Amino acid sequence: MVAVVTAFSRLAEPESQCIARALRRRDSEFIGRMVSRYHYRLLRYLVYWTSRREQAEDLVQETWLRVLEHAGQYNGRLRFEPWLFSIARNLAIDHLRKQQTATARHRMCREDEAGLNLPAPDFESPFLAAARSEDAKRIAAALGALEPIYREALLLRFQEELSLAEIAQVAGAPISTVSSRIHRGLSMLQASLGGDADAA
Amino acid sequence: MPLENHEKARFLLHRSLVEGISLEDRHWLDAHVGQCAECGRYADLSARVVRALDWFALELDPAAALRVENVVRSRAEGMRSAEARAKSLWIGTAVAIFLTFTGSAVTWRPLAWLASQWNLPSRVWQIVFVAFWLLPSLLLALLPLFRRRLLGEDSDSNGQTV
Repeated sequence: MVAVVTAFSRLAEPESQCIARALRRRDSEFIGRMVSRYHYRLLRYLVYWTSRREQAEDLVQETWLRVLEHAGQYNGRLRFEPWLFSIARNLAIDHLRKQQTATARHRMCREDEAGLNLPAPDFESPFLAAARSEDAKRIAAALGALEPIYREALLLRFQEELSLAEIAQVAGAPISTVSSRIHRGLSMLQASLGGDADAA
Repeated sequence: MPLENHEKARFLLHRSLVEGISLEDRHWLDAHVGQCAECGRYADLSARVVRALDWFALELDPAAALRVENVVRSRAEGMRSAEARAKSLWIGTAVAIFLTFTGSAVTWRPLAWLASQWNLPSRVWQIVFVAFWLLPSLLLALLPLFRRRLLGEDSDSNGQTV
């Protein structure tokens, strides 16, 4: 009877709280399923940040290990995704900062990440490899030239479908800043697509 | 058509994609886009950009995904067992401290009686009691907590110091 009640209460429990409980208990089965479930989305997000597939794959693992270390900080009141992405974001920024001295091909990132030099995408851009349409190929070229903070905002809004408040939580920026990043990112991509279309 | 209308239309188009717009604004925008070819093209372009963003699909490497999953699982298991060890250690230490003080309280009166039989000054036997009974018991109770540090061992592989 108790088992039935427990099972029922777990069914009624919000997913975020299940995740928080599993993380606190170090439930390896559940955590393993989460790793698998979020792998693609996390990888895509980190590719958007780093522009490099291999680095993104390494950072995915580091992100999950960091999630385990800081499991106590997630209380399950908010959705899990923004928390996960914010950890991945911090790792990506740390990683890119460390890389500053190692690469000559980088640009200065503006806005609140001032001073953070970010690498230009590889010759074989992961965006280009991932493009599945002509428009996507044009966008891929434009994405590669875009600052990561704009790429990030676009990804979180249009692929992850996070709300502005959730994106602000991930980015650690005010909602107005996030909104303007999305507007500017969209405008830049529109310019590239419009320009190419006009040229064609 | 006034220039402000085009600017307003573009502003609302972006806003509708980013955060949504009111029904009233939606009606105005639809009506404007229906009449204005330039803004219509802009709306199409915006929609194409968002669709194109959706068409990015990374190829997943199942082996890499499985590798990450295994590493994370094994780390979670390691942390769980380390935390269980730490928990038992703390409980053991708490019990040992409790027994130290309880035992001291129980032993106090017989020692006081013995000291009076041997005519020992109270300060002397009390110092002896603290030095040879209470302190060694407390040190033994706390020893497991500092075992790793005393033995010069690092924290275990998952970053938890037990």
